[in-house]
Amino acid sequence: MAVAAVHTSGGIADHIHPEPQGFIRRYVFSIDHKIIGIQYLITGFVFLVLAGLLAELIRVQLMNANGGFISPDTYNEIYTMHGSAMVWLVIIPIVTGGFGNFIFPLQLGARDVAFPWLNMLSFWMFPVAGLLLFSSFLLGAPVAGWTEYPPMSLQGGVGTSMWCVAIFLVGVSSTLTGMNFMVTILKMRAPGMTFTRMPLFVWAQLATAPLSMVATTALAAALAALFMERQFGIPFYDPARGGSPVLWQHMFWFYSHPAVYIMILPVFGIISEVLPTFARKPVFGYKLIAFSSVAIALAGFMVWAHHMFTSGLAPYLQLPFMILTFTIAVPTGVKIFSWMATLWGGKIHYTTALLFAVGFLALFTFGGVTGIFLAAVPFDLHAHGTYFIVGHFHYVLVGGSLMGIFAGMYYWFPKFSGRMLNETIGKWHFWLFFVGFNGTFLPMHWLGFLGMPRRVAEYDPQFQMWNRVESVSSFIMTFAILLFFINMFVSMRNGKKAGPNPWGGRTLEWMIPSPPHYYNFKNIPTVYALPYDFSEPLPYKGLEDELNDKPPAQLAGAHH
Amino acid sequence: MAVASAALDAQHHEPVDQLYAETRDMRLIGFLFFLFSDVVLFSSFIFAYLYLRNSGQGWPPQGVPRPDVALAALNSAILFGSGATMHYALENWKHGKFFRYAGFMIATIILGAMFLTGQVVEYTALYTKEHVTWGGSGIFGASFFTLTGMHGFHVLVGVFYLITLLLQSVHGVYSKDKYFGLTAGTLYWHFVDVIWVVLFSIFYLI
Repeated sequence: MAVAAVHTSGGIADHIHPEPQGFIRRYVFSIDHKIIGIQYLITGFVFLVLAGLLAELIRVQLMNANGGFISPDTYNEIYTMHGSAMVWLVIIPIVTGGFGNFIFPLQLGARDVAFPWLNMLSFWMFPVAGLLLFSSFLLGAPVAGWTEYPPMSLQGGVGTSMWCVAIFLVGVSSTLTGMNFMVTILKMRAPGMTFTRMPLFVWAQLATAPLSMVATTALAAALAALFMERQFGIPFYDPARGGSPVLWQHMFWFYSHPAVYIMILPVFGIISEVLPTFARKPVFGYKLIAFSSVAIALAGFMVWAHHMFTSGLAPYLQLPFMILTFTIAVPTGVKIFSWMATLWGGKIHYTTALLFAVGFLALFTFGGVTGIFLAAVPFDLHAHGTYFIVGHFHYVLVGGSLMGIFAGMYYWFPKFSGRMLNETIGKWHFWLFFVGFNGTFLPMHWLGFLGMPRRVAEYDPQFQMWNRVESVSSFIMTFAILLFFINMFVSMRNGKKAGPNPWGGRTLEWMIPSPPHYYNFKNIPTVYALPYDFSEPLPYKGLEDELNDKPPAQLAGAHH
Repeated sequence: MAVASAALDAQHHEPVDQLYAETRDMRLIGFLFFLFSDVVLFSSFIFAYLYLRNSGQGWPPQGVPRPDVALAALNSAILFGSGATMHYALENWKHGKFFRYAGFMIATIILGAMFLTGQVVEYTALYTKEHVTWGGSGIFGASFFTLTGMHGFHVLVGVFYLITLLLQSVHGVYSKDKYFGLTAGTLYWHFVDVIWVVLFSIFYLI
């Protein structure tokens, strides 16, 4: 306690700003990282519903080989918007803005992020961008797929320009969030919290933030050029006027490959918190998991052209990109094995959060392995543009990111709301989702092998049977997600009271009430060791007052 | 970063209070990250330019002249000079010499405005004499006007930024110990300078 006071008195970390007053300042234009985190989660889930409904339209259309439900043009709009919304409006904002904002400042022992006003600004760009993106349906939505390759994206309707502006906006939001998180992690750790004592979720955010900062800015340039070409006729990409469509592919994938890691690294962090808590066992290979996140983030910048093996990339460039892509499997494998070793010999509690985390391990590994297939040039030349690709990236993004998001929601919902989610509904949610997911996306792999191309509204009748299996399974998956939303709505009011630490977690967010006070900690704690040693006493000092009714010393006037 | 802030702290005798020091460090790192992401933005367009330039159409494309290196060299000298005056402005502020500081600030602002004027002259000449336009001169117009225009926009913002800083310092916003805004302004101005070194090399020299 005395140590903590000496370290932090008078410093920014110990400063409590006055409590915000009124509904608007508390819940709408809030600068509290926890409220902003919940705003991100809610907005992200709203877009998840919208983009999910678009996916169901796709599945209904594909129930018949000759389509007939919607026109091919509308079909193009729908899969484009489904992909764009899921990447930029659902997964990235939820895993960085949502979980990141709420959880990691608490785990650092900080009162807020470094720049709370900037944080608010970042958030509000996101729903504006989302509205702009979805309103492009009114004027003719983009039709060239979420990658918007020119020259097709140069020919699309005015909605494509709106797409540019909307994605640019979420990009700026993501860049600012990345900077904010970096400075917070570098400068606002509690006394004693060295880098190698940080929880693994914080490490995951630390590896993600520079990706958001650097890669997203490169995308901003690509989008600005596309916008200028479409609106003012400035020749960057149109080959007829000297531009190069392959230039877009380079600039787009220089962002969008790291973006894959923006979507998965924070989820790795969630899994790294959930597994040790429910195995009641120290996480295996703490440093390996932490540093491999950074290794993945760095290597993620050097593999973008593996998306472009069929676009006439010089053969002498194909080989290094292929080999570098293979090497990313090494740090990823390090993580998978560390997580499995964490579970090994543990006293496993089969909560819904753990089920989702284990489901993540299985599905993400599967998606990772097909990723290795696709990294190999000879294989990729055959699989490119087929449903094999669609199966692959849905395994990593739905089976990986979305499963991890659900694990995180079941794990941290008590901290967000003070109430437990219903475990029975949760287990129905998990099993229906797991079965529905595999039924939807597993057949895509052999359909791809057999030659079914992606992004088509009608297809060869020989594929119809498996497409019907997929569509029915996707309805099961949608029903499972509906259960999740029902669970949240019911539990928010009627769920069991959670108390500060329902899971016996050991990171700092579990040491304070649920939901936490707006100032997080009454006294900034001092950290003595890693949080994950379940057999040892908690490695914190200065937390004695957190769970009683006394106001923080600073506000009571007893301090200073 | 740590070295930079230690150097700042060593400048004066009384210790800056801890709250200010920590806030300043955070802002400094945040501002450097901002500049870094701006570097990435320029780098992306520079990559696009070099990619298009080497796409086998020859450079400059048919019917487009090479830009005038003499005028650009003069303009570069003006901008680099403003980097020096900016440096001395901050140094004089640190030593409490207000009038010297203000003089160097005004010089920097004037040099920045001269650079912008030079750019307007260059653009006008390209348009009136050679009929080179942003959208109508192939990849030359696209890359040259986009990149130099982006840079010019940064200089324009910088000029208004420096005017704001000068007015703020006249109104006593900054003290001898607490002058983060001026540090940020200096960093921004040097950043704009460095970007120009690269642009000058790739458009006029190679």
